[in-house]
Amino acid sequence: MSNNRTQILAQRVIQQMLADRRTLALIVIVPMILLSFLGILIRHDQAKLVVAYINNDEGFSLAGNEINLGDRLETLLADIDEFNTEIMTAEEARLKLDDGDIDAAITVPEDFTANVASTRKLALAVEFEGSNPMLSERLEKLFERLALQSINTLAATGTPTTVPVGADSMEFETAIDATYLHGGKDYDTLDYMAPALVGFFVFFFTFLLTCISFLRERMNGTLERLQATPIRSYEIILGYMLGFLVFGLAQGAITLLFTVYALKIHYAGNLLNMFIVEGLLVAVSVNLGVLLSTFAQNEFQVLQFLPLVVVSQGLLGGVIWQIEDMPKWIQPISYLMPLTYGNQALRGVMIKGESLLNVGDSLLIITLMAAIVIVLASRTAGRTKI
Amino acid sequence: MTTTYTVEVNDVHKRFGSVHALQGLSLKTRKGEIYGLLGPNGAGKSTLIRTIIGLHEPDSGSVTVLGHNMPSKTVLSRTGYMTQASALYNDLTVYQNIAFFAGLMGCRDRAAIEEAIAFVDLTERMHSPVGTLSGGMRQRVSLASVLPHKPELILLDEPTVGVDPQLRFQFWDHFRQMTAQGITLIVSSHVMDEAERCDRLGFVRQGQLIAEGTSESLRQQAGKDNIEEAFLYLAEQKGVLNNHE
Repeated sequence: MSNNRTQILAQRVIQQMLADRRTLALIVIVPMILLSFLGILIRHDQAKLVVAYINNDEGFSLAGNEINLGDRLETLLADIDEFNTEIMTAEEARLKLDDGDIDAAITVPEDFTANVASTRKLALAVEFEGSNPMLSERLEKLFERLALQSINTLAATGTPTTVPVGADSMEFETAIDATYLHGGKDYDTLDYMAPALVGFFVFFFTFLLTCISFLRERMNGTLERLQATPIRSYEIILGYMLGFLVFGLAQGAITLLFTVYALKIHYAGNLLNMFIVEGLLVAVSVNLGVLLSTFAQNEFQVLQFLPLVVVSQGLLGGVIWQIEDMPKWIQPISYLMPLTYGNQALRGVMIKGESLLNVGDSLLIITLMAAIVIVLASRTAGRTKI
Repeated sequence: MTTTYTVEVNDVHKRFGSVHALQGLSLKTRKGEIYGLLGPNGAGKSTLIRTIIGLHEPDSGSVTVLGHNMPSKTVLSRTGYMTQASALYNDLTVYQNIAFFAGLMGCRDRAAIEEAIAFVDLTERMHSPVGTLSGGMRQRVSLASVLPHKPELILLDEPTVGVDPQLRFQFWDHFRQMTAQGITLIVSSHVMDEAERCDRLGFVRQGQLIAEGTSESLRQQAGKDNIEEAFLYLAEQKGVLNNHE
């Protein structure tokens, strides 16, 4: 019987959503548009990267072979598609870096080859423009690969007899000595962000929609009428959760497919796991919506809740910036946010392909948070006055 | 157990902060009668109705509805409550709205829902969203939404407020048809001319029932020709007219 009433209420929530075609379209289209923008911006930058190469290497004679690692590096750099390399002087590079015309400058000193040969350590001096940390991080990865390749060419030319005494093989260490003009080493990519954004959109829309629906339920007097029927507060809340779960999951699925097929994001996980995490997020956001609707007197005030409740979670919940890299004192706030755990679980499941057990800790915390807001929301759901 | 009275309100007090909304109010309704609650705005009519249906718990005193001590959720499926402003979902159709409230009352009978819609003469608009209807039509939807589950008691909080005279006439016609089926109606109003149509009347003033009876007996009791004058006279007699808390 109780199931029945919950189901009737869920059905009504679904009917209302289906009747509101515009909202229905928006919850599906908006995430796609925003994700597309993000994708376009990230990929656009990728095509434009310019790296300055300042080659002062004078070469080094190794067992009668004249070797110039700087020149080798130059050849390798020219073969790389991810960025354009421009050969220039240190002064030119300095100016362009300051103006932001180039993204990084690699400086190879006169004794580059000599140093590598004697220390067996390749240290590449790179100065990043650095205002976009994500780009710098990507470049750094490429440079690392490049350094390894250049050393391999050295190994190929050198014969075992040229190896300095005591060395068992031509093994070189490589290191990038990176300095940044702006910013730091933090980085993020669309791949990293996508699972979290899927969760974020679900949270955002279900919170907004429940908060407003429930507020209207109060304003229009329908909540009062509901209370004059046998339905109980917890059944109302369960009905809302069930109804919005349908749309939350549908939105999640569509957004996910969009990121996979249109934005070419690579996921390793299975969809069912993702749905379970999203289901828990919906439970939290629906109840948070019901709970906070008590504190709003009109729709405008509900909108004011968005920066506080949703955007703050977008910033601190690890959607874009990693929580570990945030200032220590602000991290506890992050760890109070349901989206933080949603993100951890979604990333684990979708990127690393982890099982639900692997992300069990996060799931447990979200479940706990859901339970708390369900209890609180059940208590306030009965209030009919605005 | 058979109860002679469908509703029994015994010496109910209800306070909201400093407002003493119900001040020891008692009344009883019989099966199949229209009991009119008459009184000015703020007299406590809505609070009384909400207390009867169990939305408010009395601070003291008791309310019994169809033999159940209120507040009780179980008896609610045998009652109907039409709120003051038509409380409906504008984005849903007439049918969806009525089916929703009927469903919560345990009625999923299509025929009964359509019958209720036909009763208020809205069959043609059955699948129109309620938001597209006129105020009068919405009021009719609101009335129809308390019918399909065949309640034994219906509380109507100012059902005819803002309703044109022709529709008001229709409403009272509906009410009569309902009581003919044995349904008890409690109707609140501040429109005195509606009083004549009730079987019995209760005058509510400052949270008290100051007089009760048929409109004729009340007029006689006050020695006045019309019910409005009778109300004012009886209110003065009780000394509550200028007795503000």
